[in-house]
Parts: sequence; structure tokens; C-alpha cells
Amino acid sequence: MTPEPVNPPDSTPELPDGIQVTFPKGLLGFEQLTAFLLFEPKDGYPLKFLQSNENSDVSFICIDPVTVKRDYQVPLTQEEAEALGLEAPEDALILTLVVVPEDPRQMTTNLAGPLIINVRTRIGRQIILSSETYPLRCPILLQD
Amino acid sequence: MLVITRKPEQSIVIGGEVEVIVLGITKDGVRLGIKAPRTVEVHRREVFEAIAAENRAATASKVPVQDVAALLRAAQVRKPHTR
Repeated sequence: MTPEPVNPPDSTPELPDGIQVTFPKGLLGFEQLTAFLLFEPKDGYPLKFLQSNENSDVSFICIDPVTVKRDYQVPLTQEEAEALGLEAPEDALILTLVVVPEDPRQMTTNLAGPLIINVRTRIGRQIILSSETYPLRCPILLQD
Repeated sequence: MLVITRKPEQSIVIGGEVEVIVLGITKDGVRLGIKAPRTVEVHRREVFEAIAAENRAATASKVPVQDVAALLRAAQVRKPHTR
């Protein structure tokens, strides 16, 4: 086992210039869009940005859900792992989508519909978790 | 749409490998059992629609990602004091 690399907070080595990710089934509600660029926008740490190649109007702000819920886990079925070509857990990048309302302090992230991306095969998929497990609208900022 | 009347414990088979069984009927609803291969995803429609609605809401952000990120970074610095 190699030790976990320690990354300075202003870089994401796994996404130096972004990666092209294919979602064979699209995202729910956007099933026709399958090709996306995932990158960390300039001054965007700790967020990532998922931009459709096919429709410039479709993009998503993504966050590492562990920053919101420390014990967050996605139970993958064997079928889902196979569809992603996942062989090792460290190949899986887990992101959740951020919804930013008019008052951005009220932003939430959808923990019930995470994206799993195999960074090795660059195939992604939106997983549907049972709504009892994780909330659809989990507040990101602690409310005063 | 195909409409079929089924009684409790009766079932229908879809595509040869998916079976939907009526387990029971009460005044609150119908209990269904679904036998399907692992490759077939089975979800309540509301769950699908709720996630699709959140996806659509997520694309509608008018706030630049840098502004959102700045809010988050500021909050992270504050966290140790608020907890």
C-alpha cells in the first residue's frame, strides 16, 4: 500500500486539465447528453465543473460529498460496478451535484443521486439511492 | 396501455425475465413484489422524477462557480469555531 498523497488545497492532481467523461445513460432528465468535460475551474476549489460537450447550456457544479457528510458512502450493486468497469475502489470518483439558489448561502447538494466516475475508464453514471438513505437537498453551509 | 386485472398472488411477466406479483391490496395501496435480474433497475417513479428535478435545478445556477467556491472556502475556515 502506498501512502495517500498529500495535496495542496489549490490543486487537484487527478484533474490537471480536466477529463472527458462519458455517461452512457446520461444524467436523469438529460439522458440524451452523454459526453462531458469534468474540470476544476480557476479559483473554483473545492468545487468541480461538469460541462456538456453537446449542449453548452448544460453544466453542473459538483462537490465531493464527503466534505458535506463525512461518512458518505455509495453502495454500488455488482451490475453498476461492472457497467463502470470498476475494479479498484480508488478508481471511483464520487461527486454530487450542487443546486445554487438565488441566495447562494442556501445551496444544497443532492446526496440521493451521486455521480460515480471511473477515472481510469472515464465512464460515469448517476446512481439512484433510496431516498430514505440520503437527502435530495442537503444544505452545504452550516446555518447560523 | 395494456390494462390487466390481477388478484392477490397473481402476477404478470414482462420480457420473460421480470415478474410483478400482487402481494396484497389494502385501502392504502397495492403491495407489489418484483422479481428481476440484477441488471434491471427498479425504482419508484417519484425517486426518478425527484432526482431529475434536482438535476434540472442544478443546471439553472445563475451564480458564478467562483463565487460559490469562495463562500465554501470562507465557511471551511470558519468551521472549527462554529462546531
